[in-house]
Amino acid sequence: MTHLRKPAWLLAMWLAAIPAFAQNLESNRFYVQQMIERAAANDEHGVVAMQRMLEQNPRPAAADPAAANAMLQAGLAALRQDDSNAALTAFQQAVQMDPGNIEAANHLGLVYRKLGQWTEAERALQQALSLEPTRAVAWFQLAQVYGLQNDVQRATGALANTYRYAQNPMRAEEILRNIAENEAADTLRNAALATLRLQQLPVADLIMPPLAPNSDMMPMTTPANPLRPPRSAP
Amino acid sequence: MKARWVVPALLALVSMAATGAGQYEKFDYYVQQMIAAAVAKDPASVQTFREQLDNLPRQEPGDAAQAQSFRQRGLDQLAGNNFKEALAAFRQAFITDPANADIAGQLSLTYLRLRRFKEAERLAVYTLALAPGQSAAWLTLGQIYGQTGDARRAAGAFANAYRFAQDPAQLAEQLRQLGATDTVDTVRIGALQALQAVQPGSVLPDPPTLAPTHPAAHPGTGSTAPAMATTPLSANPPLPDALKRGLTTSSQPLAANSAPKPSPPVSSDNPGQRIYRRSLPLTCLIVTFRNGKSDNLGSGLLVSVDGLVLTNDHVIEKADNLAVKCGDRESVAKVIRRGKAPDLALLSTTLNSADSLTLNQTYNQDLVGRDVFVLGNPYGLEGTFSTGVISGLRAIDGVRYIQISAPISPGNSGGPVILSDGTVIGIATMGLKVGQNLNFAIAATEVIAAGFFDPGRTKNLPSKGKP
Repeated sequence: MTHLRKPAWLLAMWLAAIPAFAQNLESNRFYVQQMIERAAANDEHGVVAMQRMLEQNPRPAAADPAAANAMLQAGLAALRQDDSNAALTAFQQAVQMDPGNIEAANHLGLVYRKLGQWTEAERALQQALSLEPTRAVAWFQLAQVYGLQNDVQRATGALANTYRYAQNPMRAEEILRNIAENEAADTLRNAALATLRLQQLPVADLIMPPLAPNSDMMPMTTPANPLRPPRSAP
Repeated sequence: MKARWVVPALLALVSMAATGAGQYEKFDYYVQQMIAAAVAKDPASVQTFREQLDNLPRQEPGDAAQAQSFRQRGLDQLAGNNFKEALAAFRQAFITDPANADIAGQLSLTYLRLRRFKEAERLAVYTLALAPGQSAAWLTLGQIYGQTGDARRAAGAFANAYRFAQDPAQLAEQLRQLGATDTVDTVRIGALQALQAVQPGSVLPDPPTLAPTHPAAHPGTGSTAPAMATTPLSANPPLPDALKRGLTTSSQPLAANSAPKPSPPVSSDNPGQRIYRRSLPLTCLIVTFRNGKSDNLGSGLLVSVDGLVLTNDHVIEKADNLAVKCGDRESVAKVIRRGKAPDLALLSTTLNSADSLTLNQTYNQDLVGRDVFVLGNPYGLEGTFSTGVISGLRAIDGVRYIQISAPISPGNSGGPVILSDGTVIGIATMGLKVGQNLNFAIAATEVIAAGFFDPGRTKNLPSKGKP
């Protein structure tokens, strides 16, 4: 325990001391943001401390869970038909009826992201994560939201949490590598690259456009294991 | 026998220690134990650790049908040697269904083909966590370790490939092929050691030689030294014969040096052919040695009639000894001067010559667009000639470079970039990993400005000059 980072704990204790404040939505968002910042700083203990704070929060009361679930299903059906507007309405209603419905909050964030409504997408995903801070899919959605807003730092933190909480880390690793090597959006690509490096995972040493000035020069010397030339080479 | 009680104790220890460890680290631990047990010829421990892997929680399957479609695309691309496209397809397949061991194994193999060894190893270990008895994944892992210079682990992984093969005879044949023809020493050694372990009485291939298309020096590694001492592979890494002689007689003058061969006759009007024929005997292969083994190779150019050879500093960076071969002649070399900025080194050799390459001190925008010719030894392919144009002039960290479009590869470092008048305009040094043919040569004028070489020595040997 001695290695727990002090600032994260002190902050958590301060917030915990004000229950009314700690339980409201804004404090939950604060914890989520802290999880992102701590992850981007590779501060594992800080991330876990904030995760614990979120997990201690009581779940919001549901007005009508059955109706919320019905709206969730309606929203999913609309999504399958690629009707984002209908899905949005359904998920909004589901969340209103049951603010503790993680699926509804997560899908609401997804639809907002699809529609390019970043602020709303961020809020919905933060809500989903405050309910279940280990939900890798929601972290991944949130990373994309930040990536598309050119916020590489927060995208990196969210991607780091995606990897941390992934059920299959090797799959998550390949997804990150795929983004780092192929994603068209610079911010998201760079965030994936930063995340791989943060986690000390291998990645092709590639710099994609736009190139930094004079970046990544490769000395033309042959390393220990020379390649066999391709058979088709002239 | 002795492992009977050790293994359960170890497992108990690991199950406690692995609680907080990452998933991959746990997989890797068991796989490494299976390798170590195979090397120790301890089948009971191999089986015990295999069971540990078998007992791990299964990975969540994905969309198998969709993954198969991506996989088929990957196989098609792999068949056409389109490794990057194969990687994209297998990666999609893996992301779609990460519980399919065949797909994970093919992704690992594709990474291996792309020489991305770390990724290849991780995927191979993961594949074995899914299917510890998958012979193909063990074979891939053995090649990964062999390619990265670890003969011991290569041998263990190959032995497990044999152990779990559905057709052991066919696998033994694959190992024989690897042992006889693979271009990397440690792959060959690992395969032969595995064969000896699993088929003690088998007839092993003759000592392997380099494939004819690949005259490069190969590395030896510290980890393989004991194995090399006990097998026919104990010879030096397969250097070109001339260089081997040059190295072994390093304390004596080389007979060949006293009688330099003249350049081949130049009769063609084609400027490329003319430059190639004249410059080839003046372009050098540089082989570095470290801890008694060949370590690195690059290129150089003969810049004076008394055997001074110019190259890049990074070529000789960690060398204990140097061997230089210019044309048909070879010599050991000593470093006279070296520096990081510019990245240059001047070597003295015994290669007296009737001719030398001339450094051209021009450095202005008029150069852009002019044809250039590059000679060197990319990946040990001696005397490789390529052409292009001067694409631009660049100053990088205060050093003047000439950007060229002529293709260069690892092994070209230190070689000459030549204008159509036969003068050297730059020293091939580096390239951008991205893009195409964005390559850089230190400007020849920089060589002189930095005091590496007195241009007065860059001239042909006078007919009545010193011998």
